[in-house]
Amino acid sequence: MGHYLRNRLLQAVVVILIIIVGNFILLNAVPGDLVDVLAGRGGDMDADLMASLRARFGLDDPLPIRLLDYIRNVLTGNLGYSWPHSQPVLDVVLQRLPATTLLVILSVITSVFIGTLTGVFAARKAHKLTDVILSMVVLVCYATPIFLTALALMLIFSVQLGWFPLSGLTTAGAEEGILATAADMGRHLVLPVVSLSLFYVAIYARLSRASMLQVLTQDYVRTARAKGVSERGVILGHALRNALLPVITMAGLQITELFGGAVLTETIFGLPGVGRLAYDAVFARNFPLLLGILIVCSFIIVIVNLLVDLLYMKLDPRVELTK
Amino acid sequence: MTLTRRQMLLSSLSTVALATLAGRPAWATIDPVGHEGGTLTFVISPSPQILTSAMTTAGAEQVVSAKISDSLFTYDFDMNIQPQLATSYDVSEDGKTVTFHLRQGVKWHDGTPFTSRDVAYTCMKVWKVLHGRGRTIFKDVTEVQTPDDHTAVFVMTAPSPGMLKSLAAQQTQLLPAHLYEGTDPMTNPYNLKPVGTGPFKFVSFVSGDNLVLEKNEDYWDAGKPHLDKLVFRFVSDPATVTAGLESGEFDLVNQSLLPKPDLPRLEASGKFDITTKGYEFQNEMQMIEFNLDDPVMSNPKVREALAYAIDKQWLVDNVFFGYGKVANTPLHYQLTQLYDETDVPRYDYDPMKAVKLLEEAGYKRGTLELTVDPLPYGEYQNMTANYLREAFRGIGVKLTVRNEDFAGFVKRVYTDRDFQFTVNLLTGGSDPTIGTHRTYWSKSFAKGVGFSNGSHYDSPEMDKILEAASAEMDEEKRIGLYHAFQKLAMTDLPVLPLVAVESVTVANKRVHNHTINAHGTYADFAEVWVDPKA
Amino acid sequence: MTAMDTTPDTTAAKARPARPPRFQMLRRTLGTPKGIAGLALLGIVVAMAALAPILFPMGPWAMVGRPYTWPGDGPALLGTDVLGRDMTAAMFWGAQISLLVGLVSASVSLVIGIAVGACAGYFGGRTDAVLMRFTDAVQTVPSFLFTIVIVAVASPTIHSIVLAISLVSWPAVARLMRAEVLSVKKREFVQSCRIIGMTDLRIITTQVIPNALSPVIVIASVLVATAIITEAGLAFLGLGDPNVMSWGTMINLGRPAIRTAWYIALIPGGFVILTVLALNLLGDAINDAFNPHLRKR
Repeated sequence: MGHYLRNRLLQAVVVILIIIVGNFILLNAVPGDLVDVLAGRGGDMDADLMASLRARFGLDDPLPIRLLDYIRNVLTGNLGYSWPHSQPVLDVVLQRLPATTLLVILSVITSVFIGTLTGVFAARKAHKLTDVILSMVVLVCYATPIFLTALALMLIFSVQLGWFPLSGLTTAGAEEGILATAADMGRHLVLPVVSLSLFYVAIYARLSRASMLQVLTQDYVRTARAKGVSERGVILGHALRNALLPVITMAGLQITELFGGAVLTETIFGLPGVGRLAYDAVFARNFPLLLGILIVCSFIIVIVNLLVDLLYMKLDPRVELTK
Repeated sequence: MTLTRRQMLLSSLSTVALATLAGRPAWATIDPVGHEGGTLTFVISPSPQILTSAMTTAGAEQVVSAKISDSLFTYDFDMNIQPQLATSYDVSEDGKTVTFHLRQGVKWHDGTPFTSRDVAYTCMKVWKVLHGRGRTIFKDVTEVQTPDDHTAVFVMTAPSPGMLKSLAAQQTQLLPAHLYEGTDPMTNPYNLKPVGTGPFKFVSFVSGDNLVLEKNEDYWDAGKPHLDKLVFRFVSDPATVTAGLESGEFDLVNQSLLPKPDLPRLEASGKFDITTKGYEFQNEMQMIEFNLDDPVMSNPKVREALAYAIDKQWLVDNVFFGYGKVANTPLHYQLTQLYDETDVPRYDYDPMKAVKLLEEAGYKRGTLELTVDPLPYGEYQNMTANYLREAFRGIGVKLTVRNEDFAGFVKRVYTDRDFQFTVNLLTGGSDPTIGTHRTYWSKSFAKGVGFSNGSHYDSPEMDKILEAASAEMDEEKRIGLYHAFQKLAMTDLPVLPLVAVESVTVANKRVHNHTINAHGTYADFAEVWVDPKA
Repeated sequence: MTAMDTTPDTTAAKARPARPPRFQMLRRTLGTPKGIAGLALLGIVVAMAALAPILFPMGPWAMVGRPYTWPGDGPALLGTDVLGRDMTAAMFWGAQISLLVGLVSASVSLVIGIAVGACAGYFGGRTDAVLMRFTDAVQTVPSFLFTIVIVAVASPTIHSIVLAISLVSWPAVARLMRAEVLSVKKREFVQSCRIIGMTDLRIITTQVIPNALSPVIVIASVLVATAIITEAGLAFLGLGDPNVMSWGTMINLGRPAIRTAWYIALIPGGFVILTVLALNLLGDAINDAFNPHLRKR
């Protein structure tokens, strides 16, 4: 176990290093830099000021030196400085992390719960009308790009019906207190979470239906049935437990995708998350910030993947941790 | 040089002066008649990154920080100087010394008194060094003397008539010397929790989401501001902005953040004030910059042909939904004293003529292929470029539209100069010396510097006119020089003006006094008040 | 990254019976209701793409009337867009682009993924470790964000968009391929090829890959669908090729006006859904055909 953990962590370090080096090189191929953008935003800067800013931001050193400096800094926990924000990169990222974390966690919980239930239900009614109808609905959800769902939900529920706030994570300047703030955030998060979830609900439903169907025919389930275990007992005690395995794998993938990848949802609903921040950083040529986000996100993802593996091992003792 | 010793009205009279701008009931100040308090929600985009504009010229930073921090002056709709932290000023006979008499009894939000030391520090250490426009405006200032706490004397090597037009909080904002002196202004923590002298104090800032300000109870202009709270929301999606206005979640939107097709509907609903005033500091022009270093574009016949092929009224009507006017000279029509199109060559829509000119230039129908780089800022430049593709197809020119992001555009056009022509949005500013000169003056061409003579236009005659105009103190002569400028610019055609853009502010009718001077929504909002929410 | 390197659709692929002859596969795929529906829907889209130059020879950009004309209000069947262009023409020409983007990016990522996965699985050891860490790295960066970065680096043209989509979507293929190859290479026929002295390259291309291909074929339709959605998402953010009329471009144009003229964004949105739905139905049908024991139980 300790050996396994050490191996995995070593791998993670290698992966993050590859990400740093790869992106560093990639980003340096981009035309234009931070100073071009700063100068352009105001539409008014002279060559001297631009040169002095480039020197300050360390943009005029050769690429290998900047890369080595950067890696050295990262190793000491310093992710650099975001000049346009007047703040260290880590501070900027940490301010934006809560919105994304909430969004991701809530959408994973919602979609796993609803999706698995739908799948199990459909599997029990396999090839009956309910199953066919459910499958159709699930297929349409699966085919709808998340940003279209988000746009449609916003048009209907925020604009036409006015049930939910249009954008943002909180009502700025609203009453304080933990409960009030939580309720306020909740209202703001309903539509983004639903938009992100619908697509994944479809995936979990398909997954759990398929694996339930598979599991239900296996010997130990037949044995359990033969022993007179109730249908509910069979499903909860045996089938579901195994059907959950691919669901857990998928949940890990979902977190990986959404941590930083929910750019469209964060944009449409104006959520101050890391995805949107990364997107803006690309166009602002704020590369220390972008790299910082990638590193923080990768770190989280590596941990999530590790947890998924451990959970897997717990649920299915047949899985050996060989890698 | 004429003697210019002027004294301004004392501050107590300033409100009166503004209120007498009669005949414009929608934006003259109206007394709140008992409607004190309340919250105003103001939507802007993009999100500001820092909360002061003393070291940046970016628009979002200007809008929000002008509510927190003051400068020396404000300007009315006709760009006349109004007092803010300077109550009056004197200009010496040779024009090289300007003395500002500062308002007494003003306190920073942390209670420290505001003094001439703050002015001297901000000018010499921040504006002159770090502010893109400040470096030009204050380049001749060698020293700011502080004979006493309430007098600041700017000593210059040459007279600078432009400086007095540029001392508003949206551009040149004063910083508290006691919190900045001895620090690196660019990394000073107070950039994010600003301490100003303005009507509103900083409460909280969530980058990318919102900024909350509250009433400054110790504001120097007693009885103001009227609002209890001023909330900024940063919303990048234009459709969301309209929806928020209609639902009442947002009160005020500036800078044409709304999709133009929504405006007729908002107007028809009768619930909103829609105004194009308050952008006198910007005067944006949509223009085509031809790259004169390009072998095709350097041919004047080709430039003229393209000019004749464009139906500019179509652009005004369909891209800008009527919020703009066809531009026949490089100056924005809002510069009423200088704008003059008599005897200026015109290029009215005439595709037949365009085809003929192209043939004269040696390009038979269907043989010319061009590429355009629209400025990736807002959607209008891209839409115009898309229109051009079809318009040029009509005269047998194949046009490719290039899509790149902002930094890529700046690099390609101004550093690599690897382009044929742009569709650009250029800020003329409150005076041609601020924006327009950069576009036409040969000496402002420098590789790597954005939005500065992108055509690489180099005409000794034009340089002479511009240089004379920027030092001319006599109004009549100045007007004459700028008329010559407009004629020459449209004859040589290094740049083809398309549309004089009108930016739009939309406000819920419960909001009053949001646009009462040239700063529009970039003003300090001390006068703004709201009806209680229905 | 996880201990079980399979995607769910193919969990059962391991116990696959001997492959039925080709024509039978085809019949099994197309004979199901899902297969028929998928083919029919996809047929509509393909027909649109094919008919675009015939029905709308002026191309998708010709301005035919006043901007923002609602469907039914003017000569254009589906209305006109923000610049008065015919939405119907845009939808037909857009079908070409969406299909092209989908097919080309799916093919490129299949090629990369198969090559990487086959090499990692076949050679094992250090090669495997290096290739898989590289795959991990690509997969650890959120893929949509990575696509945005690549498109921004190369500036948005149809080529860079296709390339970016391919570069982020191959890792799934590689993992699947590797897992299959690991089991295939232990089989006797591969062992005997080795004994008779065939080169590794020949063994991989003629023996290993063909025998490990079926689960990959199953996810091909998902790759096409994902590519179409990604292109639309990029265009939605303004990262489309302005010289190419895709459905995503139209959604992007219509988005600001969605309160006043929602049809401009939602009609192309509908076509995206339709196409993806068709591909998913087809993918399901193929999957069922490959794993018949999952179908009826």
